[in-house]
Amino acid sequence: MWGEVGGALVLLLLLSEVLDCIGISPPGKPVLINCRSPEKETFTCRWDPGFDGGLPTTHHLYYQKEDSDGMYECPDYQAAGSNSCFFNKSHTSIWVNYNITVVAINSLGSTVSDPLEVDVMYIVQPNAPENVTVSVVETEESPHLLVKWEPPHEADTRSGWITLTYQLRVKRQNKKEGEWEEYASGKQTQLIIYSLHPGDVYMVQLRCKLDHSLWSEWSTTTHTEVPDYILKERSIWIVITVFSAFILLLVTFTLAMKRKYVKHCLLPPVPGPKISGLDTQLLKSGRSEDILSSLINQGFPPTIATKDQQVDYLLVFDSEQVTPDLQNGQTRTKNIDHGRYDHSLLMEANNKEVKVGGRETVEQGYSEGLESTFWKTKSLSHPCPQKKPFNNVTEMPKQAPVSSKYRSLSHHKDLLDSLARHLDYRETVVKSQSNCDDKHLSSQNIVTPLKAIGYVEVQRWKKSIGLQVLVPKMDKSQEDYSTVSVVENENVVLLKRETVPLNCTSCKLRGNQSEKCLQQKPCKPHMTVPAKEGVYIGSNGYVEPVTISHTL
Amino acid sequence: MARRSQGTKLHLAVLCLVVSCHAIGLSDLMERASQRSDKLHSLSTSLNKDLDSHFPPMGRVMMPRPSMCHTSSLQTPKDKEQALRVSENELISLARSLLLAWNDPLLLLSSEAPTLPHPSNGDISSKIRELQDYSKSLGDGLDILVNKMGPSSQYISSIPFKGGDLGNDKTSRLINFHFLMSCFRRDSHKIDSFLKVLRCRATKMRPETC
Repeated sequence: MWGEVGGALVLLLLLSEVLDCIGISPPGKPVLINCRSPEKETFTCRWDPGFDGGLPTTHHLYYQKEDSDGMYECPDYQAAGSNSCFFNKSHTSIWVNYNITVVAINSLGSTVSDPLEVDVMYIVQPNAPENVTVSVVETEESPHLLVKWEPPHEADTRSGWITLTYQLRVKRQNKKEGEWEEYASGKQTQLIIYSLHPGDVYMVQLRCKLDHSLWSEWSTTTHTEVPDYILKERSIWIVITVFSAFILLLVTFTLAMKRKYVKHCLLPPVPGPKISGLDTQLLKSGRSEDILSSLINQGFPPTIATKDQQVDYLLVFDSEQVTPDLQNGQTRTKNIDHGRYDHSLLMEANNKEVKVGGRETVEQGYSEGLESTFWKTKSLSHPCPQKKPFNNVTEMPKQAPVSSKYRSLSHHKDLLDSLARHLDYRETVVKSQSNCDDKHLSSQNIVTPLKAIGYVEVQRWKKSIGLQVLVPKMDKSQEDYSTVSVVENENVVLLKRETVPLNCTSCKLRGNQSEKCLQQKPCKPHMTVPAKEGVYIGSNGYVEPVTISHTL
Repeated sequence: MARRSQGTKLHLAVLCLVVSCHAIGLSDLMERASQRSDKLHSLSTSLNKDLDSHFPPMGRVMMPRPSMCHTSSLQTPKDKEQALRVSENELISLARSLLLAWNDPLLLLSSEAPTLPHPSNGDISSKIRELQDYSKSLGDGLDILVNKMGPSSQYISSIPFKGGDLGNDKTSRLINFHFLMSCFRRDSHKIDSFLKVLRCRATKMRPETC
């Protein structure tokens, strides 16, 4: 017995050795490669058969489902090619585990592969998108690539069982080291690519996936060439840009060369003020006496321009000192420079009696322009009833010559001189005597303003009061009347200057004497600045103006 | 007669408007729900990958079979034809039942995750918490959806979870954790598929959403 068993074993061994020498054996172990479902409805399993052992070998696939018992064999070995098993829709279940094995059988034996656990939900991988078309859309602003494609034909996108999402990648053929640019397309089946390089060839590939499945393989490459014409259009623009830049440069250069001219054109210099007679250079030089002398210029106040003017002085003295020669209208002439002061000057009031009055007042007339003035004396109404008519001391021709006569008011001779020196204005002093037996002797002080616009008439003074100089207002247009506002102290009499409107009309005389309005010739309009002026008669006998105002 | 037809026309127009408005609202809700379920499944897939990276060698053998998942008692469609034959009410009911069935297991998993014998258990723990958030949000959205769909869609199957804990030793804990996660992965895929079918059906006017 033992011998038979031993003999059989030895025989088998010999046989296998012999078979090996010949080269046949049972099949090798097949290996299941993978199973794939392209659309979540069917799936295919593939295996590697392994060594067939030199004999014709058949392979069988058996599977087991988790929810049912029994071993089933593959329903279709041919549909997917050799060494594959295709599970159609009726044999495919999802969310069910398959336990799949492959058995290789040949005449010498069979070999079983390792099992493979498969759930369809894990093995889904679609095919690549199909019918990829790439076209160049040439628009004015920006040419672009329009890529269109279709889902793989077996995928059912209408029921909602699967949802496809796509991915695209582009590469330029000319750029050797270039990399693929990837774009996600979501669920859309077309995509537009901008920023193209003209004249280049573009390569496009596509892939897709189903919900959470694996990505498909990349589709076959589609080549597209972008035409060159875009470059030509751009070159024209480049030429235009260069040309205009050149012109701009030229213009800038020209402007830079003619800087001053351009500046003069665009920003004309502001003209400075031109004051006739005012020399700005002299002002700048800063020498005071020159300035003063220049301020007191020739043309102002407008009078006869020549210096050689006869100036008649009317001297005012104290009543006792009235000399008969004065009655003759003796006048002193003096040249007085034109000055700019147009205030009235009063005589000093040193508690002396100043005779005021006179039958005549000085009338001033105006001529055209301001160059000439003339005065006329006029009769004054005499306050004293007893007095004899008094003839005017001075009489000027009615026809006003161009020459003007100065009258200066002076209490003393030296005062007169000082007045003449310092004040430089014309004044008319009318001296008249009254034969009043009272103290109201006439002492005429008439001060006329510089411009001979109006006149000042001293009406009367009362010793008790002091000097009162009244300026009759001829009319509103008379400008240079001054009214005494107050006699401040022994030495100061403050005059009030008033502006007088243009029309010379009636006048009004102050005082308690009968008043007679002195008719005046129509006066020329002057602008005056109202100012409060005063005259200060200093201790040294000088009369100094307190305020100065300009007329004109 | 003419007046009556005019009146009916007006009524029809108003009705159409209401229906279309209603439909638009529904499709919008469906879109949002399916987006959430998609995210839910992605999270569970990444969790499973993390767990797979560190799996004991004998784990595959020791792992319970998928039919041991506690939700396997729920009858769900097994292929496309079956799924397309299921009514919308039933589909939504299935989705909600599955979602509800995982509330308790997720609680268990989140409590067990920090002490899991796994190198990246912190990551896993945070992902589980994220899963819970998405699950809750999806559940709320589906509740609103069924209110719009009508009373017949509000039936939910109750699936009890009996697993008390994961085990005593490290290996069994890890294996049971992995098993539960694989069950959840499958169920989240089911929910996602059902909602996407529903979404496509709700937007008949816009086939591109399918």
